[in-house]
Amino acid sequence: MAIHEKSLIDPERVLRKDKLLIDGIDISGDWNLIILPRVVQDYDLKFLKEVMEEPEGKTILQCYQCSYCTASCPVHNYWDERYNPRHFIHLARLGLLDELQKYTDVMWRCVSCHKCTHRCPKGVLVEEVVKAILKAMSKRGLIEEYPSKKFDKFFFDAVYQYGRIEDGELLFGWIEKQGYRVTKDPLLKKPIPFMGNIPQWLKELALKPLKNMNIGFLLLNAKHMLFHPKTKEWNRFKQVLRKVLEEEGTSVS
Amino acid sequence: MAKTVLVIGGGPAGLSAAKTLGKLGIPTVLVEKENTLGGRPILEGYHTLIPRKMTPSQVLAPYIEEVQRSSSVKVKLNTQLVSCEGTAPDFKVKLSDGEELEIAAIIVATGFQHFDPRRKGELGYGIFPDVITNLELEQMFSKEGRLYRPSNGQLPERMAFVFCVGSRDRQLGVTNVHCCRYGCALSGLQASEIREKYPQVEVFCYYMDVRTYGTWEYPFYWEPQEKYGVRYVRGRIAEITYSHSDGKLRIKHEDTIVKRPAEIPMDLVVLVLGMEPSEGTKKIARILDLAQDPDSQFLIPAQESGSNVISPKAGVFIAGACKGPIDIESSLSEGEAAAVEALAFIGAKVTV
Repeated sequence: MAIHEKSLIDPERVLRKDKLLIDGIDISGDWNLIILPRVVQDYDLKFLKEVMEEPEGKTILQCYQCSYCTASCPVHNYWDERYNPRHFIHLARLGLLDELQKYTDVMWRCVSCHKCTHRCPKGVLVEEVVKAILKAMSKRGLIEEYPSKKFDKFFFDAVYQYGRIEDGELLFGWIEKQGYRVTKDPLLKKPIPFMGNIPQWLKELALKPLKNMNIGFLLLNAKHMLFHPKTKEWNRFKQVLRKVLEEEGTSVS
Repeated sequence: MAKTVLVIGGGPAGLSAAKTLGKLGIPTVLVEKENTLGGRPILEGYHTLIPRKMTPSQVLAPYIEEVQRSSSVKVKLNTQLVSCEGTAPDFKVKLSDGEELEIAAIIVATGFQHFDPRRKGELGYGIFPDVITNLELEQMFSKEGRLYRPSNGQLPERMAFVFCVGSRDRQLGVTNVHCCRYGCALSGLQASEIREKYPQVEVFCYYMDVRTYGTWEYPFYWEPQEKYGVRYVRGRIAEITYSHSDGKLRIKHEDTIVKRPAEIPMDLVVLVLGMEPSEGTKKIARILDLAQDPDSQFLIPAQESGSNVISPKAGVFIAGACKGPIDIESSLSEGEAAAVEALAFIGAKVTV
């Protein structure tokens, strides 16, 4: 039997085998189609404990779902309605992990403006709690690597090495990681902006200071690209950071 | 001329009215239908009263003691009002034991009764032993001192409170559209008590709104969540079923925040019962011809009066849960207020 409005059903709830033979009877195709119900069958109550074991997750119990946080959230207001910290907290408290997983692509999009935390009438550290939820999910292997998470790692590696980032290196290095061919000078192996097979917008961005003749900015950038700036006495601080990361169980390159 | 005040009902409001009148030396007759004083909290064996978290005997024993000791208060147990003729301050009342009295003012404190959850068949009360009422949970605490599943006597792993059973429900007719006022707060308290004693029991509250008004917000809503980790889920339980495969109940509802239907396994389900006017309240309203709310049948105070203890009928005062859901604290203070109003009424007509 055909479903006329199959598009209205979540694809993961439609079970259908193209070829199926049971007791010699051919029930291939729509004859074996099953639609799984939308009904939530149970909660995963251990998940809340895992979130609360994270240092950032302690305040999750204080939430009473008023959504002051989401109403204040720039990511929710200007970018994607699916980024809703209030909703993530509710799902995490009940351990509705299949629902949470629907949002793993947007859950990383917090810009850390902390409006939610400053405004929360119940004193929930919203931004931290959402991070704790992500951590707990990640420990369970429920989160794949998402682009923004990869970028965080790339960004962190630069900071870890030098104590600060260098704009050009970060931008072009990231673009290269995305599979674009970046032209580099043969001697120092530094990327040459506005050359190579990089996106048009990036070329324009790199050319903009040239066109506007902002010599100071240009020279500073060029100097930084050639000689990577480094925070004073970074190596000493790096040892501290390495120790903290090791204690947290994070691998350091 | 008569100087006696008749108090009908020996619950918190009636006791507090009689106590106040007795203190002031006013001749008072307190009639109580049951064979003991104290009303619902004592008769039904409540465990802890909101909002002060005291036991019924802690709260009511001093009142009962003082009423029984007072020389001007005559307590008549197992007695009901049969008829009342005349107008204030010359009521002629007849009691069920045949006694006839001349009464100057009447204080009605006939109280409420708990909603009978069998009227909500879809919730399975009376069918599944593990569906109990919050009253039965109170009695479990007060009489047996432990929490268990009636079906097997074991501690439940998880339990749910179902709010608004018999309240805010047009399906039952116009009689039960009001809010019970105490349910949210009592459930918060019961849930906290359970989590404190049995931290391994997961407790859920299924609500539509949480009405822990005024100063009740922190102790009965914030604390259960923040301190005891009680989980609140928004959605009214539409059906309770039983699964033979695991011997657990299933509570069917929609989590309105997630916007998904759910059938969650539960070991124990507690129905939070609404309040209705007691049979006595309805009967007294007929005998004394008192104004009632056309929907709920609770007694209503005189519209032109700012006070809520003055009935539209001269010389008749109303106090406590006969006028609608109320907590024990307000019930006690309304009894006092009614006593003083009755006193002022007599003072205006009778030379003492």
